[in-house]
Amino acid sequence: MATSTERRVLRYLPEQRLVHWLGVASVLTLLVTGLALLWGPLSFLAWGGVSTLLHRGAALLFVALPVAYFVLNRTKGQELLKEIVTYNREDWEWLKGFPAYFLGRTTHLPKQGRLNAGQKLHHLGTFLAFIAVTVSGLLLWFAKGQLGGAGLAATAAVHDVAMLAVTILIIGHVYFTFVYGALPSMTTGYVSEEYARLEHARWLEEVGADSPASDAAGAPQSVTGD
Amino acid sequence: MAAHALLVDLGRCIGCQACVVACKAGNELQEGEANIRIREVVRGKFPNLSGSFVHHRCFHCADAGCVSVCPTGALSKLDGLTAVDAAKCSGCGYCVDACPYGVPKMVDGRVSKCTACLDVVATGGVPYCVQTCPSEAIKFGSREAMLGLAAQRVAEIRGQFPNAQIYGETQLGGLGTLMVLPDDPETLGLPAAPQVPALVNAWQKGIQPLTQGFTALGLITTGLAFLFARRNHRLETAARREAEAVAEKEARDGDVH
Ligand code: HEM
Ligand code: SF4
Ligand code: SF4
Ligand code: SF4
Repeated sequence: MATSTERRVLRYLPEQRLVHWLGVASVLTLLVTGLALLWGPLSFLAWGGVSTLLHRGAALLFVALPVAYFVLNRTKGQELLKEIVTYNREDWEWLKGFPAYFLGRTTHLPKQGRLNAGQKLHHLGTFLAFIAVTVSGLLLWFAKGQLGGAGLAATAAVHDVAMLAVTILIIGHVYFTFVYGALPSMTTGYVSEEYARLEHARWLEEVGADSPASDAAGAPQSVTGD
Repeated sequence: MAAHALLVDLGRCIGCQACVVACKAGNELQEGEANIRIREVVRGKFPNLSGSFVHHRCFHCADAGCVSVCPTGALSKLDGLTAVDAAKCSGCGYCVDACPYGVPKMVDGRVSKCTACLDVVATGGVPYCVQTCPSEAIKFGSREAMLGLAAQRVAEIRGQFPNAQIYGETQLGGLGTLMVLPDDPETLGLPAAPQVPALVNAWQKGIQPLTQGFTALGLITTGLAFLFARRNHRLETAARREAEAVAEKEARDGDVH
């Protein structure tokens, strides 16, 4: 528990949180209405074409979000893209220690930057799956009826497998969020200094050294009391 | 029950559309919905023309592409026929692409195709189209009996149509809609060897269950691991805080001296 004098560190700007939670809403809608197409017990949702309509509406939001991220804050977007494809020796060491991290232990791990190696891989995987889901989804939307049997099976198989990847990534993502109590960073935008030291010590050092108490994103802020 | 089949005798069909209307009325189909469409195919060169009325309708394939892709069980095989349970249909439209004959249509977000009138058949009746045909071109019964009847009819019309043949004996594992054709299938616009792509089966039998299996596995693994991981994290945090508190206290005590 953060004590009342615990310092907090700014981690996500309002526009980043907005895009994130709209993403959650769209992905969960896509998952449920997508499953309704594949899974008998949910097929009642297809009544009057409701699930199909919802699926397409959520798909539009889903596709628009990365664009929105860049429009709202290009610096942050570029930062995220760059980070998820940049891996160093510490990331490798961190990944070797992943099994114990999965079970809630962190003391054996090297200091991590803004994103730990697992987060980088998660976000990269999400990005790649996003592309596969989007391309196959647009084909299923606009070319269905012209794909033929084999074309349909191939496209739908890509769509299914990519959505499976997204689902597994979400399960892991939510899992770590709750194991390590990371939720406040995406709800309030801030993490406790203790959390930052534990999970992203190098990041804390960097932003701490850079511009103390400035308003810029990622800079630490002294916030006393809650 | 033994496999059933419909037999459509194109040598007898006069193109009157009575079956189309009876099917529509009997099955209470919507405006624009039709389970039979009849096309007139004219062959030969003037003045030696001959015309046939070719039925486009569900062939009730034994190896049915539509059933293979249907994820909800809305389409299924029953006694050699392809049954439809529209209430289970999720409107995915996969069957539209998977059918080698282009039979299923989407109407109001749900599948629409010949149901073989299985509700009528279950109570001992025969399909509406069979009941109504004025020239007895459509028959319904056990597949064996229909094949026998078809062979007999082909023999009868061979003199007039040398290429007369049965359609559907072997295609796609054997069709549940057999046809007596006066000519080669291709000249009548029917594929001689229709095929369900291998990928269709791989997708349905491999990938779809795999998707569900992995999701369940992921949920179970993380669900169990969560209990251990939370506890470990709490213990580690407590130990670290204690160590920090001790260090702080020592530092403070040091200050005093
Ligand atoms: C209920 C479900 C979810 C919860 C509780 C949740 C929670 C979180 C939290 C706490 C963070 C911040 C982690 C940090 O401190 O770095 C985060 C970041 C992120 N999440 Fe989620 N999340 C959920 C669903 C999703 C979904 C469905 C996706 C996409 C498929 C997603 C993609 C991301 C990405 C890409 C980031 C990094 C954002 C950035 O660095 O700008 N999340 N999430
Ligand atoms: S003809 Fe088409 S709709 Fe009818 S059983 Fe065969 S694959 Fe299914
Ligand atoms: S549209 Fe309906 S009948 Fe056709 S495959 Fe999808 S769920 Fe099955
Ligand atoms: S069997 Fe029934 S549903 Fe099929 S075409 Fe004949 S009347 Fe219509």
